[in-house]
Amino acid sequence: MALIRRLVKRLRALLWRGAVERELDEELRFHLELETTKNVEAGMSPADARRKALVDFGGIEQTKEVHRDVRGGRWIEEALADARYALRTLRRNPALAGAAILTLALGIGANTAIFSAVNAVILRPLPFPHPERLVMLSEDNAEKGWVRNVVAPANYLDWKERVKSFAEVAAYTGGGGATISNQGVPQRVRVRGVSGNYFSVLGAQAEAGRTFEDGETWQTGTPVAVISHRFWLDAFGGDPATIGRTIPIDGRPTQIVGVMPARFSFAADTMDIWQPMGWDPQSRTQDFFRRAHWLRVIARLKPGVTPEAADAEFQTVVRRLQVEFPATNRVMGADLVPLHEFLIGDVRTALLMLQGAVALLLLIACANVGNLLLVRALGREREVSLRLTLGAGRARLVRQAFTESLVLSALGGAAGFALGWWGTRALAALQPAGMLPVADVPMDVRVLAAILSLTTLTGLIFGIAPALWSAHRVPAEVLKEGGRSETGHGIRRWGDALVAGEIALALMLTLGAGLLVRSFWRLQRVDPGVDSRGVLVVGIRLGSGYQGNPSSTLAFFDALRERVRAMPGVSGASQGMIPPFGGTAFTSDFRIESHAPDDFGVEIARDRVTPDYFSTLRVPLKAGRFITEADRMGATPVVVINEALARQQFKDRDPIGQRITFSRVADSTSVWRTIVGVVGDVHQTGLAVQPQIAAYEAFAQSPTSYMTLLVRTPGDVESLVPGIRRIVGELDPNLALAQVQLLERLQERSIARQRFIMSLILVFAATGFLLALVGVYGVMAQMARRRTREMGIRLALGAQASDVQWLVMRHALAVVAAGLGIGLTAALGATRGIQTLLYDVAPTDPATFVVVPALLLLTALVASWLPALRASRTAPATTLRED
Amino acid sequence: MTATPSDVLRGTLDLLILKTLTLEAMHGWGISQRMQQFSRGVLDVNQGSLYPALQRLEQKGWVDSDWRVTEHNRRARYYHLTAAGRRALGAETESWRKYVSAVELILKTT
Repeated sequence: MALIRRLVKRLRALLWRGAVERELDEELRFHLELETTKNVEAGMSPADARRKALVDFGGIEQTKEVHRDVRGGRWIEEALADARYALRTLRRNPALAGAAILTLALGIGANTAIFSAVNAVILRPLPFPHPERLVMLSEDNAEKGWVRNVVAPANYLDWKERVKSFAEVAAYTGGGGATISNQGVPQRVRVRGVSGNYFSVLGAQAEAGRTFEDGETWQTGTPVAVISHRFWLDAFGGDPATIGRTIPIDGRPTQIVGVMPARFSFAADTMDIWQPMGWDPQSRTQDFFRRAHWLRVIARLKPGVTPEAADAEFQTVVRRLQVEFPATNRVMGADLVPLHEFLIGDVRTALLMLQGAVALLLLIACANVGNLLLVRALGREREVSLRLTLGAGRARLVRQAFTESLVLSALGGAAGFALGWWGTRALAALQPAGMLPVADVPMDVRVLAAILSLTTLTGLIFGIAPALWSAHRVPAEVLKEGGRSETGHGIRRWGDALVAGEIALALMLTLGAGLLVRSFWRLQRVDPGVDSRGVLVVGIRLGSGYQGNPSSTLAFFDALRERVRAMPGVSGASQGMIPPFGGTAFTSDFRIESHAPDDFGVEIARDRVTPDYFSTLRVPLKAGRFITEADRMGATPVVVINEALARQQFKDRDPIGQRITFSRVADSTSVWRTIVGVVGDVHQTGLAVQPQIAAYEAFAQSPTSYMTLLVRTPGDVESLVPGIRRIVGELDPNLALAQVQLLERLQERSIARQRFIMSLILVFAATGFLLALVGVYGVMAQMARRRTREMGIRLALGAQASDVQWLVMRHALAVVAAGLGIGLTAALGATRGIQTLLYDVAPTDPATFVVVPALLLLTALVASWLPALRASRTAPATTLRED
Repeated sequence: MTATPSDVLRGTLDLLILKTLTLEAMHGWGISQRMQQFSRGVLDVNQGSLYPALQRLEQKGWVDSDWRVTEHNRRARYYHLTAAGRRALGAETESWRKYVSAVELILKTT
């Protein structure tokens, strides 16, 4: 207790020196007053009494000085005095301090946010036990151009059974929607089909109840499901009795057997329900089990087995399968990558580019702050010299400047930390859904440490340089010069080098941003092939009651379209399977009848559409006819192809009347469809993806239960939703709308990631650009000020204002040109790294490489012209009279 | 008694302060008066040196201080002995006595 009291007192003496001093004053004053009173009482005059009291006391100031010495902590006091002095000088020049702190904050904040994302996505291991043993298995197919493709179930099962390096192999589907009925209310949920061992391969346990067993990959008695923690709370209020309950999922009664914990997250998926595949054991040997590819496959390596060793064994198994199943596996390769690497995927390049960009920004920020301090050191040359002459210790001067920079970087660091904290949250919140394959982007301890070391380091670097420099100057020289001459060249050359460096870095940053902007501009101008404005997209998935009953499926959709078309304001209603920009397509092999039997095609996108599909989406007809109402079941099977397919397969021949089938080798069961029309290409997968070859079948000739309703209206698109919801409910009370979206939004969303990355880079580049300009301005203003006297003399001797401005401009031009040269050279090498992020723009795009440097040069020259102009306008007499 | 007041020996000031504070908490001026009074004016404490000494004792943890109101309604800093101070006083008194008797011994024999 007493110890704490003492510590508190000591701390107080250190931190609140003023208060302690005031107390001492009061104590001594009190003493003297009592002593004086005593003397007066002894019969002295008040003046004598006071004098005697002072004499007896013996030196008030000495007492105080000794008292301070006893109090101790002198060096801390000095450091605090330095810090206070630093704060005072910073306050005296708020523009500079503000600029420096803002600069640091931006640099540090941006780095913190991006580094947090890099850390969360790239550096942090997957949140599963022994994540290094998890690998992703995919199919590669040179013939079809597949890289890391989804896997056919039969291949998955063979890999699972034959590769000894794998402890376990699990499979899962991409996940889709389903309709559940919760107490009679239909509700759309996200469902993922998984193999029975999915959770055990990941090493995840249920929070309540159980997960699945390996055997449940196959059909069992009652269908079972595991639900997410969130869904458990949302739909069942977290009721423990949920486990064991049976709910209908797409009409099938399904028993809930477990709840996954809230922290369970695989690649940031947002599944509500997991269900075992529940495959029919008879499928195992059927052809489609090897032909249809829809699974993602993860394996857990046995302990001690390296990914390389596992891959070697895996490849021998894959080659054996090529021989055993030539019809399907002849050219089927496979690929094994660490799961983490796979999940990071293409966001890695983007994140690393962003990290590079913010690193450049931080360098610019540091250079800029260094610059500002240099400029100020130059401006304070005389003050420093004066203090040196008056006997200030050099070491103390250096320390003072050092403290000043530390205070500055501490303030900047604190602001940067706040900005980084906010930026990290903003980044996680604003990212296009699913871009970062992690559940959360925390700002963790490592990031914090990185920031602190960054601020300290920058403080040290740009604190020491000007301070050391000013301390070794000979004061008399500086005072004689009157702070005007050309000595002290060294530091100005440093200033120039910093500005040139800033220009170079800013150029690299701006060039990168320029390329991305140009790339995005091109993307936005891509003709999507459809007119997406004013089109509503509504996904509808019929329940199990419609399965194997094409006529009821047809009847449902026909009635739906008819009633929607009758709604006020609707100008068109049609259906396809997957909406344009849906991010995916349904693909298969195909064969053209007139081609040689072994000349088959692969990877054609297929869709099933209603007659008015093309007119609703405004897809142009290029030849032949659209699908009509006459193309119904029983009539000749027809198909409409796109221009890409016509070009690829028929060259200059007329495709109309030719026949096509969707299997590689045609046999008696093959359905031949006659090509009746050719339509324009549609960017089905996304704006950034080239249109695939595609064929559109007539929905009426091959109905499916999962369809997308496309409704066009010249009015307010969203106002249609309640009406459509009502119609669907009336047609089938067990149905919920799967996806309600504006087609325009889907189109935008297909390039949302590019837009997001471009926007970030643009912000960083603009900041870097501005900082570089501030740097140019600061150095040139300082130079102009130094040469004002010279200019005054020149002007007095008859030089033109433009001549003296040229003095400064010439210097600026040299510095900026040097920076641009360095920046261009570096950028030519560096932009190649972002090639994969560019759409239809070369990494050395000539336009960008001309426009951006020119812009930078121009603005830099303006920034240096302003101070030159001001200097040249000062009346010669004024300048000459100074000092 | 008109003897010239002599300076307090270096190092004994602390001892005297501690001894003075055994009776009650006092402010600086009070301590100086009490010391003068006790020594019957022989020891003239340099009043100015009292305050750094008090500060030193406080840092050692032998005395503690707080601000109180005097009987004349003035704010003053009062010092009082801590438990550690009381123990220190015992030890210091002991060593002082040894010192004095040693000096006495030397003075007697020569």
